[in-house]
Amino acid sequence: MNSIRPDDNISELLKTDLNKGFRLLVETYSPKLYWHIRRLVILHEDADDALQNTFINVWRSIGNFRNESSLYTWLYTIATNEALALINKRKRNVAVSIDDLENYFANSQEGSTWFDGDAAQLKLQNAILQLPDKQRIVFNLKYYDEMTYKEMSKVLKTSEGALKASYHHAVKKIEKIIIKD
Amino acid sequence: MINRVPTCRDEFNHTFEIDYIMIKELNDIPDKSPFKVPDNYFEEVNRKIISVTSGFDQEVKVVSTYNRFRTYLLIAASVAGFILISFAAIKLLTPDKSNPQVSEVLYDVNPDSYLNDIDISSLEEKASTLVLSEEVPAVNKKDIIDYLLLENIELNDIYEHL
Repeated sequence: MNSIRPDDNISELLKTDLNKGFRLLVETYSPKLYWHIRRLVILHEDADDALQNTFINVWRSIGNFRNESSLYTWLYTIATNEALALINKRKRNVAVSIDDLENYFANSQEGSTWFDGDAAQLKLQNAILQLPDKQRIVFNLKYYDEMTYKEMSKVLKTSEGALKASYHHAVKKIEKIIIKD
Repeated sequence: MINRVPTCRDEFNHTFEIDYIMIKELNDIPDKSPFKVPDNYFEEVNRKIISVTSGFDQEVKVVSTYNRFRTYLLIAASVAGFILISFAAIKLLTPDKSNPQVSEVLYDVNPDSYLNDIDISSLEEKASTLVLSEEVPAVNKKDIIDYLLLENIELNDIYEHL
């Protein structure tokens, strides 16, 4: 999934034609970042808001982006921060916590319109939601985005060893939750 | 579905291998996202993002005049402060010859005051015997050690000097 990363083309285009470069960046990364955010915030409407905010922040600070760091990890860092900010906002404003999807959907305006998982997928998502936020991010980035620990350490500003241990514990926890249910 | 992960260490520094993790239940789950999006969502959101961001200016790091000369200003302020403090210290600590101090005035004006009746040399003698007296109040050695330890002095140093 990560083997084709046209970051070099985007970086070059950003230098020569900022608008074209940004358009290419949005087209290339919006689906990936959307799904990353969506798995964290769950609701489509929230993911949509966070995605747009992510790209607004990217646009505003693209002039300060240093080419020595990877565009891919820089974008994931901004998207992750946006998703976490939204989760924290929801935690403050909504009495219902995101640890049970059906309950969460039932209490949202959107409902489960944009969820079509079967019982097994619902079970997996509920298990993932029981992880602490940071561990959930680690699990998602590894399991769904197939991100390397090296890249993940840049996104989350955490050592590779800690991330490996965190992923290992996340897998064990999910396994336990699924078996128990 | 779960990637092969090389040997690693957990937070307690225990080495463990998580190669070939085969979670039967996880592997039974179809490898597809359970979430869905409205039709043509990405085309629309991309258009929206491009249109929204065109209205936003980019952040340009503007270095203000104050920031540019901040270092020089700080150095100048420090030097000025140092000169001011030095001047004040000299002024306060140097006796002013034109304005004699009170004790001198008293002594000069009243040469027959009671101060002259005191035998200074006997007072000095008494003071020196007090200061140099061997009769230091008895202090427990342990209390001294405890006090020094509280002052973060190394135990080795304490025993070296006691």
